[in-house]
Parts: sequence; C-alpha cells; structure tokens
Amino acid sequence: MDELLQQFLIEGPELVQQAGDALLALERRPDDPALVDSAFRAVHTLKGSAGLFDFPPMGLVLHAAEDLLGAIRAGRRAVDRDTVDELVAVIGQTDRWLAAIGSTGTLPEDAGAAAARLVATLRARLSDGPDHPASAGGVPPETDAAWIRTLLSSQGDAALPDGGTLVAVRYLPDRNCFFHGDDPVEIARHVPGLVALRVALQDGQPDLAAYDPFACNLVVELLSSAPLDEVQAAFRFVPDQVQILPVTVPATPAGDGPAGRSTPEATSRSLRVDASRIDALAEIVGELVVAKNGLAELAAQLAGGLDARAAATALADRHATFDRLVGRLHRAVVSVRLVPMTPLLRRFPRLVRETAASLGKEVELVVEGDEVEVDRSVLDGLFEPLTHLLRNAVDHGVEPAEQRRRAGKPARASLRLVARQAGDHVVIEVADDGRGIDPATIRRVAAERQVMGSEALASLPDDAVLDLVFRPGFSTASAVTDVSGRGVGMDAVRTAIGQLGGKVALASQPGLGTTVRLTLPVNLVLAKVLLVSCAGETYGVPMDSVVETARIPKDRLLPVRAGLVFFLRDQAVPLLPLADLLHVPGSVERQEDQLALVIRAGPNLVGIGVDGFLGHTDVLLRPMTGLLATMPGVLGTTILGDGRVMMVLDPVELAG
Amino acid sequence: MTVRLVDGVIRLEGACPVEEAEALLALVQERPDRPVDLSGCRHLHGAVLQVLLAFRPPVQGQSEDAFLRDWILPGLQRP
Repeated sequence: MDELLQQFLIEGPELVQQAGDALLALERRPDDPALVDSAFRAVHTLKGSAGLFDFPPMGLVLHAAEDLLGAIRAGRRAVDRDTVDELVAVIGQTDRWLAAIGSTGTLPEDAGAAAARLVATLRARLSDGPDHPASAGGVPPETDAAWIRTLLSSQGDAALPDGGTLVAVRYLPDRNCFFHGDDPVEIARHVPGLVALRVALQDGQPDLAAYDPFACNLVVELLSSAPLDEVQAAFRFVPDQVQILPVTVPATPAGDGPAGRSTPEATSRSLRVDASRIDALAEIVGELVVAKNGLAELAAQLAGGLDARAAATALADRHATFDRLVGRLHRAVVSVRLVPMTPLLRRFPRLVRETAASLGKEVELVVEGDEVEVDRSVLDGLFEPLTHLLRNAVDHGVEPAEQRRRAGKPARASLRLVARQAGDHVVIEVADDGRGIDPATIRRVAAERQVMGSEALASLPDDAVLDLVFRPGFSTASAVTDVSGRGVGMDAVRTAIGQLGGKVALASQPGLGTTVRLTLPVNLVLAKVLLVSCAGETYGVPMDSVVETARIPKDRLLPVRAGLVFFLRDQAVPLLPLADLLHVPGSVERQEDQLALVIRAGPNLVGIGVDGFLGHTDVLLRPMTGLLATMPGVLGTTILGDGRVMMVLDPVELAG
Repeated sequence: MTVRLVDGVIRLEGACPVEEAEALLALVQERPDRPVDLSGCRHLHGAVLQVLLAFRPPVQGQSEDAFLRDWILPGLQRP
C-alpha cells in the first residue's frame, strides 16, 4: 500500500477518536474552548489528509463539519445536543469510511449519497448563522498541504529526488513546551536526512511590547529524505505536536502536490509498540552478547587444557545465564504483542452515543479498565462482538425514557463497559440498567421457535434458560426485538469470542438490567496442548478442544455400518481413527484397549482414536503460512523440546 | 554568560540555553537595531531563536556549527 495512505489509515482512526472524545465531552462542558479546539483540529487534519487522496465525499463532509466547528469556535454558534449529534454522526461516518478504505482501498459506493445527506444537514445548521454565505456547497476541499509544496519549491529541483519519497513534518510545539524542557531547534537538529527546513513564528506579528520569551510561538516545517520511522523517532517525545507525512516528490514540481493511491494489502498488519519495550529487548540482546562472549572465553580455557570438572561447572554456570536471559527475552517478546485496551474501549462512547441518538434514547456509557492489556489478535477480534453487545444493550436492554420514569429509574440509562485482568485472563463486562430478560419470555420464544423440545424446555432451570439466547435458532432479530429485548446475533458473539479462546456468560435480573461477561485469554500465543501419538508420529491437540480422554475396551466398540461407535455414559459416540482423518497409514490391528479423545463437534460428541497419550505441554504456536495456511484441521506447528517439529491439530475441524 | 554585549554588538556564544532568551530580549528591546553576532554560537535554543525571529535584529557572522549555518542562519538573514 502507498505509504502516505498507510499513514493516513493509522492516523485517521486516532483523529476520529480525538474528535469523538472532544465532542462527547463538549456536551457536558459546552463552554470549554479547549474541547472545541481539539475537535476542530482533529477534523481539520482529517479533512486535509482526505484531500490528499481521491476521497471527495469524505473531504466534503469533513469540510462542512470543520465549518460548523469553526463557527462554534468563533462563538457564532452555540453548542446544543442536536449539533453534537450531527457532528458525532459525521465522525462515525468517517470512521466507517476509514475502515472501508482500509479493507478495499476505496470508499463504498453509497458514499456520495451519504455525504450529500450529512453535508445538507450541517449546512442547514450553519445557514442561519450570520456570516456564512452558502460556502463551498459542492466545492472540493482544498488540501492543507500548501506548506509541503512551499517547502518543496523552496529547495529547487536539484536537491530533490525526482519522483522519490520524502517525509514532510510540521511541528507546532506546545505553547508551554519550553517549560517541559523541549527545544524545538534541538529536535530539528536531530532529524536525519534533512532536505529542507523552515523555522518561523506561528503568530507572525507577536506583541513586541508584551513579548513573553518563554511562550513558544514557533512552527518548524521540514522535509527529510530519511525513512519514515527514523523521522518519527526524532519526534518521539512530542508525537502530539507533529504532523508527519510521507510525500512523493511530484515529477513536475508545479504539479498537484503530493498524491498517491494504490491497492491495499490485506495482509499488512502493523503493531505500535511502546518504545520502552523495545528498549527492554535491546537491553536483553546486549546481555546475550555478553553471555555469548563468555562462551568464547570458556572455549579458549578448554583449549588451554581446563580439566573436565571445572569445565562442567563453568558450562553449567553459563547455561544458567542463558536460561535466565532467554526466559526474559521470551517474556519481553510476548509483552510486545500486548497492547492496551484503551484505543478499543475509547471507540465505544461515541458508538453508543450514535446508536442511542438514532433510537431517541439517552444512554451514558461508563468505560473502565483502560490499563488492561491483551494480545494484539485478541484486541482485533473484540471490536465486533463488543459493538454487537453494546448496540443490543442500547437497542433492546434500555427501555424508552417514559417507561424508565414509570419504573422509577433515571431517564438517562447507564451502560457500563468494564475490562479487568484476572490472572492470565481478561474479563470484560457489558452491563446495562435496562429492563432485563424475563425467563418466561425466553421460554415462550424458545418454544415458538422450536429451539428445543417442550419437555426439555420445561425442565430447564431459569439460569439455563437465559443461555438459550446464544442458540443459533433463537437469534432471529424480529422475534427477539419484539419480545425479550436481547438476543440479536448473540450466537455470533459467542462464536466470535469462542474463536478468541474465550467464553460468554449472561446474567440478568428482570427490571434491573442485564450483564454479559466475556472471559478471554490475555495471550493467544502460548497454548496448552495434549500430546498424542498416531502411526508413529506425535501430534498436539489444544487442551481447550478436548472434552475428555477415554479408554474403551475392545469389546465395547460396536461396528455400525462402515464405522465404529462406543458408549460413553449412555451416549453413543462415533469413533473416528485419527490416522484416517489425517490420511496416513493406520497402525496394525490393535490388541489392547482403544484410546480416544472425546471432543465436541457442534452439539455432538465425537471420539477420535489415537495410539497413545504422551502428556501435555505448553507450546508457542506458529500459525501455518503460505500454502500450508489453507490446510484444514491444522492450527499450526511448534518445536518440541528435542527439536522435532510437531503439528498442532484442530480436531473439531478434522472431525467436521 | 553566553549572551554578551561587546562594543554595541550582542554576541551569542557557545550553546545558548533557554534562560538566555530573557537576557537577549532585554538587550534587543533596549535597542532594536543592535546587531547580533552568531559567529561563536554553537546552538540556539528555540526560545532564543524565537526572539531573533520576532524582533528581527540585524544578524551577522557565520556559525561554525553546520546545522545553524546551513539551516537556521539563512532564515534569519533573509530580509
């Protein structure tokens, strides 16, 4: 993907976040100019970036939002609930467009129509303002890259790699930055590969009589030929005050400025890592180098005739050192994959706000647990299910305002999204103070939809009845929306969380609210596997997927048609030999008892016949890559203690 | 002292830290046409440079520091 676009896709969501946070806070503190400023700056930057690419609808909408925010900033417009709603809608739309660009490289087809609607609303709000002639109704937004062009042209063509890539930086130091010990000149001095530099005053005509030497009024703009990350590193202490953009030097200097488009790579995944964690890794590597040198010294001593006992002691000593360092290295690497939940959690207040506004409800979302960290892949997989749960809570859990009043509850509903760490798991709770779920209603709907037999249904305790909302058959939107208030796509939530190795539980008190609890592993990387042998090979099977292991006496195996069945506590369980599933030549006819892994494939139990159980171990699972990635039934590979490569199987997929 | 007044010329010497902005400001405000000599200067803190950019006193002398000479001084000598 084009680097410029890539950068935009990293920064865009952060800016959306910034704008959204500011807007939501603005509703509570409408007189806080800092919040208007923050929202304005974020929207302004987004608009400028959108203008660099070919996304006119996005530019138009942001331009209109910027105008409205500008009017608010200038005091020409008051902040009211409707205005915030409309601005939040713009931010929400931008967020969705960014996601679309990330996955397809372009805006969705309906973007033009959606943009026209939003712009019309925003302009209507602005049009009654005093000094806004119908500005820019359909004029494409100007790009904010004028400074880049000025810098480029200030250098003449000779200094610039024609058509090459440069990094452009605009650094607006904070007014108080001198007090924080920042020296913008010193920072600029350490930017590698400087091609152009301009240091000027932000406010070109400062009041000289009342000049404050310690209030920073500088702006630093520069171009560098160094790689993006090196330039970013130079500004690592002031990330909030800089705009860093890769730019392509136009082949003709008078051209339309930097621009670039390309198709996105579906596989590109970047990881933002706290610098201190990289420092920790570097430190360990340093110590490993020292330890390695210790081995050379030992080798020299051995060559010089060191006696065996002393050599053994020295070697054991060195081994202990390596053991400690490798352990630390492993922990450090695992921690690099851990990311704070903050960016994810902070997306939701806006989403809840948007959903609530569209339903005419008032809902306040309280988010706790910013500091909790999870593996990157867990975090990535959480957005969808959490979105689902929160939407459900707002849509179905929370009653309309008058109904709440009748029930003696505050009109503004309270929704809590809480994440906390519990050992090597994270627990995430979504709790509302809405109408709760009435087990009787669930029973009725379950009976109507024939989720299970009526006798079985009648014998279910109330706790278990709630669990029925996770049944695929239960979750048809219309039925559930009408009657119970929960359940839309709950099976999808359970599936998504299950894929992350987690569990979903539901608790509800009729009239008081519903709580959904997700329990997820912090790390996906280390997996507990059961080692089994089959046809002379060792395979791993994740412990999570094994219900139990069984030893079946030979005479209890019953042939049914072409297969075999055994009985496990009065339940008939088919037996599938693992060798058959893997298409490897099976072992010869066995004389002793048959060993089987019992797994759950869908609603049924399935036995997988193996030759032996070899214990269990923790493994670092490497996902299959390339051609092997599509191989069914294999989760990945791992290296055993003796150096052999072992395949870790997905028995559910194999048996399915 | 890295900001000194020598024969009517303000001389910035060595690395000028943030505190020197105040001293330079006082000298510049006293007589805005006083020239500033940067030939002995190795670094200008942002606050110091900002005084020069705001008051635009005549600047003379070439710094031996390559960064100042190539990137900062041209911006100050421009009319």
